[in-house]
Amino acid sequence: MSLNAHVYQIYIAATPEQVWSAITESEWTRRYFHNVEFVEPPRQGRPYRTVTADGRAAVDGITEEMQPPTDRSPGRFVQTWHTLYDPELAHEPPSRVEWTVENAGDGLTRVRLVHGNLENSPLTWENVKDGWVWILNSMKTLLETGQPLPRVREDEAVSS
Amino acid sequence: MEQGGEVFRALADPSRRALLDSLFSRDGQTLNELCAELPGMTRFGVMKHLSVLAEANLVVTTRYGRTKRHYLNPVPIEQVANRWISKYAARFTAALVALDEQVALDHETRTSGRAESA
Repeated sequence: MSLNAHVYQIYIAATPEQVWSAITESEWTRRYFHNVEFVEPPRQGRPYRTVTADGRAAVDGITEEMQPPTDRSPGRFVQTWHTLYDPELAHEPPSRVEWTVENAGDGLTRVRLVHGNLENSPLTWENVKDGWVWILNSMKTLLETGQPLPRVREDEAVSS
Repeated sequence: MEQGGEVFRALADPSRRALLDSLFSRDGQTLNELCAELPGMTRFGVMKHLSVLAEANLVVTTRYGRTKRHYLNPVPIEQVANRWISKYAARFTAALVALDEQVALDHETRTSGRAESA
């Protein structure tokens, strides 16, 4: 079993700019990402930290790259990923999450998510594997319908 | 976007399911590795099936230098499951749970009956 990376891809009927906002702005993340939000707006080269609605630490790391999408180039949002929401996972070294957002034509935006550098973080590898699928589908549903996935789906995803 | 059709078509072929199974057990394989894993398929066949899987967004490739790696993308399968399977499976599961409870109840009645007669 490869512990190198998880790779996901999803097509969303929204503009690259809308998807970019959904990934990088707390007003959006808290609606589809387990109520998680950034403590401060992320900035390239700076540390970041996310928290849950009740203020508990979720994830921290460094925002390594933050280039919004343009007509000519895809958006790139790259962060190191140190899990804080679970004490066991918090012992593992930081991994890396890379978002790529680009226009796919026909009113669609292609979102690619690579969660890599997981060689030495087997618990995180296992923990995020199915979680990202739910997050990406929830983001798509929110952007396309204005509503995130119903809570029950999240509970099922977490328990499975 | 009607993506479900592409996903079902891609999954309908046993060779493509074998490729997905191979990536599920070891993600990020190169073409050479996949060919070695599936000796029953020609190299051309593996390439052809991978391109159908990529069109259905079930396989995503990344390049690391000159190496192209293939990853299983579970997102469309979850979408198909949400749309087509959970709707029907919920009733099926409920029926199974009811059956299970009934069997347990019958068993209990029978064993308690035996206990009484003993």
